[in-house]
Amino acid sequence: MEKVPVLEMIQVRKAFVATLAVDNVDFTVYPGEVHALCGENGAGKSTLMKMLAGSFNDYTGEIKISGEPVNLHSPGDSIKKGIGMVYQELSLARPISIAENVLVGRLPVKNRLFLDKNAMIDKTRAILSKVGLEHLDPRIPISEISQHEAQLVEISKVMSNDPKILVMDEPTSALSRDEVELLFQLIDKLKKSGMAIIYISHHLPEVFRVADRVTVMRDGKKVDTKPVDAVTTADLVHMMVGESIDEFYAKRKGTAEEEVMLEVDHAVRYGFFHDISFQAKKGEILGIVGLAGAGRTELGRSICGIDPLDEGIVRIHGKNLKTGSYPRTIKSGMAYLTEDRKNDGLFLRLPAGENLYSSVIDEYCSLGIFSKSSTNSLVQYLVEKLNVVPPDVKQEVNSFSGGNQQKILLGKCLAMDPEVLILDEPTRGVDVGAKATIHDVVLELADKGMTIVLMSSDLPELVGLADRVIVMRHGHLIGEMYKEQLTEETALLAANGEGDVCDVCYTQY
Amino acid sequence: MPGKGEENSSRFNRNRQSMLGRFYDKAGIYVIAGILLVIGVFVSPNFLTGSNFMNILRAVALLGIASCGMAFVVYNGNLADLAIPSYMAFSGIITVAMLPWGLVPAIILGLLAGMLIGALNGLVIGKLDANPILWTLAVAYFMEGFMRFAWSNSQLYPDQILETSGKDTAIAEHFIAIFRTDIGPVPLIVVVMIAMFLILQFVFTRTKFGLQTKLVGSSREVARSTGVNVTKVILLNFIVTALCASIGGIFITSMNKLGVFYLGQGYDFKAVTAVVLGGMMQSGGKGSMLGVFGGVLVIGLMTNILTFMGVNTFQQNIVTGSIFILVVGIHQYQLRKQGKDYA
Amino acid sequence: MPNSEKSISSSAARKNLGHTLNEHRALAMLIFLFLGLSVFAPNFFSIYNFRTILTGASLSAICAVGFTIIFILGQLDLSIGAVLMLSGMLCIGLQPALGWTGSFLAAAGSGVMLGLVNGLLVSKAKINSFIVTLGTQIITFGLMHLYSDGGSKAVNDFRVADMLEREILWIFTPLSLITIAIVLLFALMMTRTRFGKGFFVVGGNSETAWLAGLNRDRYIIIGFIICDGLAAVGGALFAMKLASVTSYAILGNKTLLQVIAAVIIGGTLITGGKGDIVKSFLGVLVLISVNNGIGCFGLGFEVQMFVNGIILALVVLYEAYTVYRKNLLKGQRPNLLQELEKSKA
Repeated sequence: MEKVPVLEMIQVRKAFVATLAVDNVDFTVYPGEVHALCGENGAGKSTLMKMLAGSFNDYTGEIKISGEPVNLHSPGDSIKKGIGMVYQELSLARPISIAENVLVGRLPVKNRLFLDKNAMIDKTRAILSKVGLEHLDPRIPISEISQHEAQLVEISKVMSNDPKILVMDEPTSALSRDEVELLFQLIDKLKKSGMAIIYISHHLPEVFRVADRVTVMRDGKKVDTKPVDAVTTADLVHMMVGESIDEFYAKRKGTAEEEVMLEVDHAVRYGFFHDISFQAKKGEILGIVGLAGAGRTELGRSICGIDPLDEGIVRIHGKNLKTGSYPRTIKSGMAYLTEDRKNDGLFLRLPAGENLYSSVIDEYCSLGIFSKSSTNSLVQYLVEKLNVVPPDVKQEVNSFSGGNQQKILLGKCLAMDPEVLILDEPTRGVDVGAKATIHDVVLELADKGMTIVLMSSDLPELVGLADRVIVMRHGHLIGEMYKEQLTEETALLAANGEGDVCDVCYTQY
Repeated sequence: MPGKGEENSSRFNRNRQSMLGRFYDKAGIYVIAGILLVIGVFVSPNFLTGSNFMNILRAVALLGIASCGMAFVVYNGNLADLAIPSYMAFSGIITVAMLPWGLVPAIILGLLAGMLIGALNGLVIGKLDANPILWTLAVAYFMEGFMRFAWSNSQLYPDQILETSGKDTAIAEHFIAIFRTDIGPVPLIVVVMIAMFLILQFVFTRTKFGLQTKLVGSSREVARSTGVNVTKVILLNFIVTALCASIGGIFITSMNKLGVFYLGQGYDFKAVTAVVLGGMMQSGGKGSMLGVFGGVLVIGLMTNILTFMGVNTFQQNIVTGSIFILVVGIHQYQLRKQGKDYA
Repeated sequence: MPNSEKSISSSAARKNLGHTLNEHRALAMLIFLFLGLSVFAPNFFSIYNFRTILTGASLSAICAVGFTIIFILGQLDLSIGAVLMLSGMLCIGLQPALGWTGSFLAAAGSGVMLGLVNGLLVSKAKINSFIVTLGTQIITFGLMHLYSDGGSKAVNDFRVADMLEREILWIFTPLSLITIAIVLLFALMMTRTRFGKGFFVVGGNSETAWLAGLNRDRYIIIGFIICDGLAAVGGALFAMKLASVTSYAILGNKTLLQVIAAVIIGGTLITGGKGDIVKSFLGVLVLISVNNGIGCFGLGFEVQMFVNGIILALVVLYEAYTVYRKNLLKGQRPNLLQELEKSKA
């Protein structure tokens, strides 16, 4: 093991005004290794990687690349030193062509001045073929290709710089199962060619599949670096969370009553989901399991009337709901908690209080005149119930932490006091404490008789909370599982299309 | 994944937010108005008199009324309504053309005519999310062409209209008198302007409609998934904008004693200037009508002082433009320092 | 089964045809207009008239070049109308003192300076370009009025004016050739050089640009310099052609509107990242031809305005509707749709 490490970060440190995001971390990567970086949200992984990408010019500590000390103060510096970043949020310009995106900043030139179009196309084709996208025409703009393809284009763009170190931040979030497998094969190939890969992921099975070593971070500090063979999933989770997770998910005893609250009958939105029928009972937590792209979010938005529903009937409490208008859905007693907190969920520039009552302005108006003071008790109640920290409702939502923003988002839905609540990724990107609070509230609501439809990619959460799950895949409903059968493993298998693990199989697609 | 640190840093900055910045958010434009008052006293002994103030208010009243309308569009996040001159001219022309039906019906029809165009704008922008600047520009363009064409480039004189239709020309005099009526020492137009500001301030802060406008202005997408009928709110916003501008249109027509397509020209950009000076953010959902009133007042004071100083109109434009950019620039700088960079 | 495949492929073909037609809508409109007007409009089809159209398009076309670049950057420049008038005024006013070359350079220089100011305010002070250029528009009109004292400026030297409008190769004049040269030069820069492509990246996604090491601020400043500089060149040439300018603001405002309309008709996105200078030029020709055709029917300025407004409105409406549809169907999975068609067939 006397290899020279391709990357050494020695006692690096980056402070934001009030917090130390990365606290004296040592991090070493060898050529030809896949090094996984794990940690909860906010553990400092992304900050550490941004440092590597040259996003900051004020970090302290030393970074060595192939034994040579370097300063990474701009993205240009870091690209020159052979660092390639694949970002979670795509950094592609949608209106311009694939070729120009892939070759941005280094388009081939002939006669010193003019672009060489043929070389552009050929080069791009060659680059794309490495990620299995040879069928794409490099001249079409990014806006015309699918999300999955765009993700792969992003990867190919970074790889085309021939980086020595490739950083992948959650690269599989938008990919289908086959595409993920393709990506892993690609990673194996790159590894063999001597490239060092830093792989950030929340999906621990992926870590075990691709990584050689794993480093876990918590609260800006490094916990440990271990060879993957020497740890188990439980070990990793323990290192990440820092406390035992056995008791984390309260097992729920189903108390659902027989009364059907929500009934969806043959719901169709062309090209998004087809022929979905299910029922949810009073006081039941109905999980919907499915991989990214299975159509869960689209289903949720459509049955609530935020997006159109092309065919099918939605009944609440036995009464037909006229779909297509979210305000009407709210009046009928159903609310939807969006998965996209920043773009659809919260008015980031408005104070927490205004966000909390924003959905019930109607109820505090008489003759169109709004009485702000009468909302105080509601706002106060929600802040206390959800334990929003700091409890300052005049502060802009923007300035709250992710977990507290999510609590405020849930509060916004609770303010409507719905009979049916659709939760789409209710704990995405939040810390453990907020997660626990949100789970407690959800369980309490169900116990009080609220019907909850829970869509979550967090399998332990889904398995822990749901009384029953239905399984979606590629826009179809493929099966149903009851509490007894439901484990993380069966849920994941079902989501991947192994419908036969379900208690009830619908169609096999 | 957003860095936790970034969130923390903005929280920290917020606590440190400078006194000046906070003060500007609340009353910034009135500080400038105060400074102008002091300058005014030095410039002319006639500045600090009641009649001069009435002059200032009378001079900015039309701008104020147009700005009331513009404020709605800016508040709901739609940048600007460049069709404001069209509302003004069109409502004026229709009012004059309808005078034979009587003064009150004519005015109501005039206002409705303006609101009709507003509804068109609101529908297209609210439903299809068309770019508001481009769309309203197109509407302003074809409305001007339409008005020129329909009334063959000519001007409508109230008395002529009444004469040709064989009605009592006294109605024309009543119409022309609208602009020239005083209530006690205060001109009617000033009373109307102040009343509009007070009503709209109330609408903004205390009514369902105003609050929903704020939500739509803060983020259209979020408002949609909060259960706000975004299309309806934007439609109503543009109708209110058109109503305000049409009220201004009736005054400006009465002032000029004729209805013609070019009345109201320039009030689009002037109103944007006043609204933005008044601290209403182009990104929507921020600001207040009181601030906008301050913006209108500052423009009035500035023009008045520069006139006292013997500065001609052209130089006044240069000064106004420079101060406009300066104030917006400082405001922007303050916001950036507070980590609220979203103009 | 073969049936459904066929219907899918035919709908794809239809979509492609519509797509191509939309991509080249300025050209399609121009051809359609030329054919229509040549047949129906009296006196439209003549060498003299084509020369008039090309020469008359000069001012708007030169301004549209810079404006396209500004749109590609995702910005807006309301000040070009004022800039071109100030420049025209300077070009005529300074001619007696500096001669044509000197006064032309001074006029163009004024545009470059204003572009620099706009660019710095937008990029460095980070003020919305709508607000900045609204302010500089007011200031520039003020400067123009101040310089001309609210009146007009004229020279008695008509040699340059005559020279600019001399006939070359039937339908061209030196003025229209200069215009075409400017259009082609900048079109070449934007489509065929690395530097030009940078504008698209900066406007398309500033994050991408930053990661690729492109300096966003520099592109924005240069964009405004080009835009206002070209507006000034256009204004100066226009003034030279007439040998006089009046300070009535209608010329500036009319040109601004025409340029915006032309650029949008040419398919440039106001949101940035997409645009084509040659198509903008065709857009200008469409509007000028429409106006010319209306004139051929003996109808006046008011009809021109009305029709131009309607055209702009329709294009904006169409654009908004496409984006609306596209957003509604974003994320739609084609294989699901195919399944549906199969099951129905």
